[in-house]
Amino acid sequence: MNIINLVLGTVGSFIAIACFAVLLECPKKHLPYAGIIGAVGGGVYLLCMECEMGAVIASFLSALVIAFLSHTFARVLYAPVTIFLIPGILPTVPGAGMYRIVYYIMAGKNGTSAYYLVQTLEIAGMIALAIFLVGTFFKVLKQINWKVSNK
Amino acid sequence: MDYKLLMNTAVLAGVTMLKSGAETYRVEETIVRILKTANVETVETVVLTTGIFVTLDNPDMENISVIKRVESRGTNLNRIGCVNSISRRYCAGEMTLEEAYTELKAIGGRQYRRVIYNLATIGVCAGFAPLFGGSFPEIGGAALAGVTLALVTTIGKYLRIQGFLLNVFSAFGAALTAIFLKSIFPGLHMDTVIISSIMPIVPGVAITYAIRDSLQGDYLAGAARSMEAFMTAVAIALGVGMGMAVTGILQPGGGLF
Repeated sequence: MNIINLVLGTVGSFIAIACFAVLLECPKKHLPYAGIIGAVGGGVYLLCMECEMGAVIASFLSALVIAFLSHTFARVLYAPVTIFLIPGILPTVPGAGMYRIVYYIMAGKNGTSAYYLVQTLEIAGMIALAIFLVGTFFKVLKQINWKVSNK
Repeated sequence: MDYKLLMNTAVLAGVTMLKSGAETYRVEETIVRILKTANVETVETVVLTTGIFVTLDNPDMENISVIKRVESRGTNLNRIGCVNSISRRYCAGEMTLEEAYTELKAIGGRQYRRVIYNLATIGVCAGFAPLFGGSFPEIGGAALAGVTLALVTTIGKYLRIQGFLLNVFSAFGAALTAIFLKSIFPGLHMDTVIISSIMPIVPGVAITYAIRDSLQGDYLAGAARSMEAFMTAVAIALGVGMGMAVTGILQPGGGLF
């Protein structure tokens, strides 16, 4: 049952992200790549949740993988990182969390709302950290390459 | 060197990027990169989410300053990619300034037809359902709610309804569909269906941009994006809450079910 959920979630993320890339007017030839990044990100997220790591760590790891893949694809395919990162990161980004915060305030459940507020902030922070780490890693890599080729 | 044309090219590139939803620091980077090809003494630019200020100065010329207001913003990754590749080719000396300007002018708008756009909306709803713990019934339910969402959005755009209200109506339609389905199939997880079906309008992109802008030290743009994300969330929750209030599931100030 768990395996089925994992496979279903991964395939679902592929479809969802490839479709979302259409909404964001991602170039046609890059649609499958955006989908692959989304699928891997969603798969990692579900796998981490399956291992009971918690939503925050799961988001961090999946954002790390997504950012790494986005930078790699951007360099291989000569496109800006944004084209892959913006759709790819969506399975992880707490868009639904933002909605829940406001929704539970309206439903009169302030405690639940506060819980989602803290969780959303934590996840957003973790995604920021992941994007930042990977971005710095690739910048350092470029610097090293540049120094080596200039010797 | 035709400074005027250079300036126009740089500003056009910046405006196109800003209108397509690029981060402000990336717009500044592109403008400076294009202007630096002239080897002038002073190149300054300030880009806000609502406008561009550029100035160019050299001892052999009168200085040129341009202020450009950008009114509408959306997300169009294709145009960002096009501007990026043109500016890269121009700066590498692979094309002349005139060619760069003409190509920038020729960048098109939408790539996909309305039908594909709507099908993609339904695909997003269905695809996210398993990620929120749904199984096959929820995928079907989310897809149906997605149809309502696409329908409301299309009609709303046709009638030119303003963004906040459009989000309220879209979420309202999706929630009503989910509640209706729940009343027919009692085994359905309504929460999963609702969350999946609002995914196309949920502010995920705005949050990502807010994070990236703030990390880059651009707190003004970061705060603007955070506000945008929050207002979108308010609109969606308002729509879903309205749907529940109408059908009597949500009692004001009370419990959910």
